[in-house]
Amino acid sequence: MIAPATPKTFKVRIKRQDGRDQPAYWQEFEVERRPSQNIIAVLQQIAANPVTTAGEQVEPVVWDSGCLEEVCGSCTMVINGHVRQSCSALVPDLLEDADDNTITVEPMTKFPVVRDLFVDRQRMFDNLVKVKAWVPIDGTHDLGEGPKESPEKQQERYAISRCMTCGCCLEACPQFTLDNDFLGAQAIAQAYYFNEHETGKKLKGERLEALAGPGGVADCGNAQNCVKVCPKEIPLTEAIAKAGRQLTVHAVKKFFTGK
Amino acid sequence: MTAATTSAPVTTRPGAPKPKTRTSVAGPLSQHHFVLRRLHSLSGIVPVGLFVIGHLFTNAQMIWQDNGETFQHEVEFIHSIPALLFIEIALWSAIAFHAGLGLYYTFSGKGNVAAYSYGDNIRYSLQRWTGVIALVFIFFHIATLRWRWDILGLWDTPFYYKGYSVPGMEEQFPALANVPLSAPLTAYALQYSVWVALLYLVGVVAVVFHWSNGLWTAAISWGLTISTGAMKKWGYVCIGLFVALMVFFGAAFVGSLRYDFDAMTPQQKAATLFTVGDGQWAFDDKERLETDLASIGMEAVLLPPEDADETGAAGDERPIVEPSETPGVADDAADHGGDAAH
Repeated sequence: MIAPATPKTFKVRIKRQDGRDQPAYWQEFEVERRPSQNIIAVLQQIAANPVTTAGEQVEPVVWDSGCLEEVCGSCTMVINGHVRQSCSALVPDLLEDADDNTITVEPMTKFPVVRDLFVDRQRMFDNLVKVKAWVPIDGTHDLGEGPKESPEKQQERYAISRCMTCGCCLEACPQFTLDNDFLGAQAIAQAYYFNEHETGKKLKGERLEALAGPGGVADCGNAQNCVKVCPKEIPLTEAIAKAGRQLTVHAVKKFFTGK
Repeated sequence: MTAATTSAPVTTRPGAPKPKTRTSVAGPLSQHHFVLRRLHSLSGIVPVGLFVIGHLFTNAQMIWQDNGETFQHEVEFIHSIPALLFIEIALWSAIAFHAGLGLYYTFSGKGNVAAYSYGDNIRYSLQRWTGVIALVFIFFHIATLRWRWDILGLWDTPFYYKGYSVPGMEEQFPALANVPLSAPLTAYALQYSVWVALLYLVGVVAVVFHWSNGLWTAAISWGLTISTGAMKKWGYVCIGLFVALMVFFGAAFVGSLRYDFDAMTPQQKAATLFTVGDGQWAFDDKERLETDLASIGMEAVLLPPEDADETGAAGDERPIVEPSETPGVADDAADHGGDAAH
């Protein structure tokens, strides 16, 4: 008896798009299996020989990537229907779940496509600006020692600090769409993160005003997909709930004191 | 100028097109966005939710096969509440507000259950679907049973006999005044058609799910359950509430479907037939019905003649005096005795 041999190649279906607002189309490539192959390696193999299974010579596929160790977030794609980083998406695992020896790779759908698998994640950075996700010191003069941070708070904030602005939480969120103005888990969690920072607290009121506005925390529909797809396992739903609590307290205070 | 006071301009990548203006969920109400969303949450839980609990608990009394006495007592208690009209108006305002904003918010998202079939995500989509189903159901429920609309000729049943009884009935037949009819008329509505029963089943499951799941999400939105553990625990409480309310509904549903029209008093039988029109089908024991009606001298008024089917005149024999007729006309008819049964 000979065990069925693992196929030497597999197929990759890629959703491509020639530019912004251009129509999308699918292309299929056959790729040779190699040990410890991830999706980035697959895309490199395709770039070296961009010929589709139909035998057509095409432009190499464009994608975005940076660190290749799942800490920068830039290579996030929808792989086999699920959003994740392509650098940590390993071919053997993906093929195990695929039924016909095929892996599908698509760009994220909640951000405008620049080209092929490369999307423009600018909205997330704009949202960080909206919620003032920073510590307000400019370094022009010596402010002396900062306030003390308790270890418990540090622990809590450390988990949220792992955010790499990859966009998985937003891609999976049913409430976050291309057209609406919802901030989404990423920006809300970061606003909470800086509200809890002893120096970052200075801007808490302004952040809460932003979170109370259109597209803010109240638009969250509690589908809780964000926390399940987050590759950094950030307790996003807890951060959203805590931001909601801060807003409730803020609103009650404002109602009775007028500020 | 420090970073703190800079309202940093939204940056764009070189070569990127201008960011498009995004439609806000808040729309023209964006100034009061937060307050509106919290009021939306509150309006679903407090006036509507609390009313539904009381309503379902009252209806659950249908389960006692006591000829509807307990149920009747509860209904009369509700009708004895002072300023009931204000409560009704408050409820309607709350439902209108909750439904209006809810529909608006529903279409701001886009369900993705196919790609991410997590339980919480399924409930996100269900919450929106059940909201729409609940709205349609509540409208149908009130329109037919409270306002007595005969929607598409489907079903014409009054909800409460006092104030909704056939005009002129009490004047013609003083014996039928103040006959308790809440239980038989509720049961009649549900036994009328399997489709009505199905509508109620689907409608109430949608309402109860929407409320208990809304209670779960509201606890997160208001910042009450801020840890995963607390969300889970509160989830069990919400499941418990869902089950309890479904048990109440089950009792009302079973009680209504099993309601025994034959066991009613002759007066109840006569008044039921008067109110609902062609209601003989509800009575299994036709002989007993005839005897009972004869015992109060109403057989000739309420039962169609034997040859009604052959002459095709059954429709004309409906004992109902159309509600559109004025009581004055009915009074005139009463003067002519048996002629009242037009």
